[in-house]
Amino acid sequence: MEELLPMIGWALGMALAGAIAFGLLGLVSGTDETATIAPITLLVILLGVPPVGVFAFFMAAISAKHITHAIPTTLLGIPGDTMAAPLLRDAQLLRELGVPHIALRKAISGGVLAALIAVPLAVLFAWLLTPFADAISSVAGWIFLAAAVLIAFLSKSRWAAVIALIPFVLLVLGLNAFTLATLDKTLTVSFFLGIATGPLIVDMFLAASPVGRKTLQRADKRRFELAADSRTWKGRMPSPFGVLSRGQLGATAGAATISSATFVFSPVAMTVLMGELFGSRVKGAYQRLTTQMSVKNGTTESTYIAETLIPLIAIGLPLSPMAASVASPLFNAPPVYTIDDGVPNNLHTLLEPWQFLVFGLLAVIIAVLLTYPFAMTQAHRAAKWIMQKVSHEAIIGAFAGLLVVISLYEGGVIALFVTLTVGLVGGMLNKLFAVHTGVQFMGYYVAVLSVPGILALFA
Amino acid sequence: MTSETKLGDSPSYIEVWGDTVSPKHMWLSILMGVIFAPAAFLTSRWAFESSGVDAQLAGSYSLLVGLGACLVVAVVGANLFKPKRVLVESELGSREDAMDAIEAEVGPIGDPDTFSAGDLAEVKQLGLYDDFKRRFEQNSAASTNEEKS
Repeated sequence: MEELLPMIGWALGMALAGAIAFGLLGLVSGTDETATIAPITLLVILLGVPPVGVFAFFMAAISAKHITHAIPTTLLGIPGDTMAAPLLRDAQLLRELGVPHIALRKAISGGVLAALIAVPLAVLFAWLLTPFADAISSVAGWIFLAAAVLIAFLSKSRWAAVIALIPFVLLVLGLNAFTLATLDKTLTVSFFLGIATGPLIVDMFLAASPVGRKTLQRADKRRFELAADSRTWKGRMPSPFGVLSRGQLGATAGAATISSATFVFSPVAMTVLMGELFGSRVKGAYQRLTTQMSVKNGTTESTYIAETLIPLIAIGLPLSPMAASVASPLFNAPPVYTIDDGVPNNLHTLLEPWQFLVFGLLAVIIAVLLTYPFAMTQAHRAAKWIMQKVSHEAIIGAFAGLLVVISLYEGGVIALFVTLTVGLVGGMLNKLFAVHTGVQFMGYYVAVLSVPGILALFA
Repeated sequence: MTSETKLGDSPSYIEVWGDTVSPKHMWLSILMGVIFAPAAFLTSRWAFESSGVDAQLAGSYSLLVGLGACLVVAVVGANLFKPKRVLVESELGSREDAMDAIEAEVGPIGDPDTFSAGDLAEVKQLGLYDDFKRRFEQNSAASTNEEKS
């Protein structure tokens, strides 16, 4: 009991912090999950927050962001973040029909339902996978290589992305050798920061160069159309179960189950696929659109939750696209969490399975209790306030500062140069060749975990 | 024409990380971020370490100071630089156009009277029932005409 109380305190407090911070950030369009959640989680870990607190923070952050990201998506017609992109067309059609609020309500209700289902299911699937964990870990180097090739091939760049892994892996190896010689250690955090914020870094380089600036120039301010405010229920706010029809409840639960089990696929791809799978069976265009809103947003929650929990609980190595990107710090954030030589010393070893279940659910419930009523009642006002008051310049400035601070923390000026190098190269790969951050994170792990084994074969 | 879009101005906006910004304001904001936040971090780390705090802890504390400094940068930036966006609040397009697009992309809306009770109530509450019904009657009239011709 004496141990349990502080644990609950940390979990509650950090879940609140995560839900508020990322519930608000979900309102800011285009705030990519990897670029925002990964660095802040890293910070929370490096600050020395106990494992339960770190875990609750992360779970609340992803659940809250994928509720509020539906607000700009439905009311402004711009995707709230990367995972909101598959919802955009359905949301636009409902918006034009004059019912953006129903698009929002179906989306967030689906998100709530799927998040609550995904936590226990993911723990169950992880438990089923646990007997094979040792076998998986012993060949982890090869699995990372295969997964990197697969994730690269499934990206928009296909084979180009697979081949692009080679220079990227060599870049990581070279930088590691360089920092080992100068700092006497290899860096991790700086690589993650560089990869995650690469798109921002490359835009800053373009803006700084007279040649590059031309590609960014726009004659006018970007125009956003906010749908008129409308709220149709009278009296008590409807619960998620009241908002969704019985068919939609079933479809969302089904999609959450399937997407929880298939934790090795890209979350965006799963979201599109689940929308198709469950939407195409629905008769009537209106019902299909609203079902897709619910199913797709539900899948953004369930993929994120399951792809984090299953590898974390069963294996301890970041073996899913999600674990390798957004959730990466939970697996590897030296000196606090490490996977040196493929041996995990992270949340996998620090938390018990029941803790993942209990504190995972607790964090999701806190995130839902904060964001669902907020999105139901304040969506219009919040969207308007953000658009009018929070300038993009301010957000860019704050993230630029955060980048420098965390890099300096890990390894001084040399770490800052590493972040800059990885960010510029990774950002260009992303922008020019659609080699997204998930591929690059896998490339990092290939360099660190697969290459030593491969070299040993030829030694 | 609003005062925000003066004609004759040379294009002075750039699109960075998904939104338009003024380059001058962006660089000032970045400069604030990369000078003030690391300065706060390094100074506090030096202060913690020289007052005898354990190096590991001093690092963590000053990281928190650095994060706080980034938040300050965001708040100051938001106050100094106004968003470069145009926000229009509008009733959007016509419902007829929207139904055209939906039927073309998603499929027929169908007869609202055949909807399940829950869906029917939802559609009526949203004020979509009459438009859906009229659309269904137009569609079925059109298809019977086609069959006749």
